Amino acid sequence: MIWEVFRQEKPGKYHQHCGNVHAPDRDMALMFAQIQHGRRMQTNSLWVVPRDEIGEVDTEDAKFGGTTDKAYRWAMTYNNVDASFAAEVEESEDEQREAAKKREAAKKQEEAQS
Amino acid sequence: MSQFSGPSDLGDEERDALEALLFRMADDEYVAAERYIEWQIYAPTLESDLALANVAQDEYGHARLWYDLLQDLGYEEEELIWERPPEEWTHATLVELETESGDWADTMLRTYLYDTAEQLRMEAIVDSSYAPVCDRVGKVLAEESYHREHAQNWLDRLADEGDEESFARVQAALDRLFPHALTLFAPGPHEEDILEFGFRTETLSDLRTEWLEIVVPYLESLGLDVPEPDEVEPVRTTGRNGDHTDDWFDLYEDFTATYRQLDFDKPTTLRGEGA
Repeated sequence: MIWEVFRQEKPGKYHQHCGNVHAPDRDMALMFAQIQHGRRMQTNSLWVVPRDEIGEVDTEDAKFGGTTDKAYRWAMTYNNVDASFAAEVEESEDEQREAAKKREAAKKQEEAQS
Repeated sequence: MSQFSGPSDLGDEERDALEALLFRMADDEYVAAERYIEWQIYAPTLESDLALANVAQDEYGHARLWYDLLQDLGYEEEELIWERPPEEWTHATLVELETESGDWADTMLRTYLYDTAEQLRMEAIVDSSYAPVCDRVGKVLAEESYHREHAQNWLDRLADEGDEESFARVQAALDRLFPHALTLFAPGPHEEDILEFGFRTETLSDLRTEWLEIVVPYLESLGLDVPEPDEVEPVRTTGRNGDHTDDWFDLYEDFTATYRQLDFDKPTTLRGEGA
């Protein structure tokens, strides 16, 4: 029986598919996965899933509707407008820049700690 | 606080006793691993091959921990392994026995019997009076729990949930290996001094009792018939004084063959090793 193995590198990250193991049951699958896909790699957690339990949308069906042009979602039209005539717009932009900086700093600090 | 912080704190008697303890532990690990790796490319499945190779690699690593401490006491690597006469090795006969061809049950039972003893032995040196020993126990203990889980997972399936043939193989392996497993607790040279100086803090007989209290109920729970420990005819050679079965001398010939054929004057080392 084949068990697909998913590895999570850090807490909070997605478990990502990393291969499979042959094993008769879940306990043995976990035991083998630990050696083959966990040990000596950065591993926070491992999942094993029976291959038969995985549902798939295959290549043909995944084409459904094709890829649509979603360029309309990007409101680029206003990017080059000079907003300096309106103080409240400028203030708002300053605030947003400030908030972005803070988020960036907090993220860096978190990365440095982990 | 440990009584002895390093080699310079040891007198002659202390040193002899410590060396005896270290050789005993290192040789057990090294020889056990030599037998496990005979399964490489022959194990029942790719996964089981990798898992056992991983166990073997751990045991080599543990052997190195103790051989390293012997090197601190002045030994060279070739004197410890490649050029040490086979009759000076003091591992238990359990780990040297040839694995009957294709008998996975033998190896799984052997790792179970051995690693359970190993766990108890490590716990008995956690408070060793020789500080460098205490420093190294943690790594071994951390890895041994996977080894036992691995062995038990297999034994559960081969004996308890297996078919007639797999059960019979585990039982036959138990009958064959059990008397040799008891040699894990057979005394060797300087045993009294090892305790006297506090290098190990538990007697072999206490370790044997604790081991029996774990392995006997477990094996019986699988439906196996465990030999009565006190009625088992003791094996003639315990390994602990350097007396071994013929299997060991064959194995020794095999693993030292390349060293001798290539006429090495010292062991080769891996890139980065000892760095």
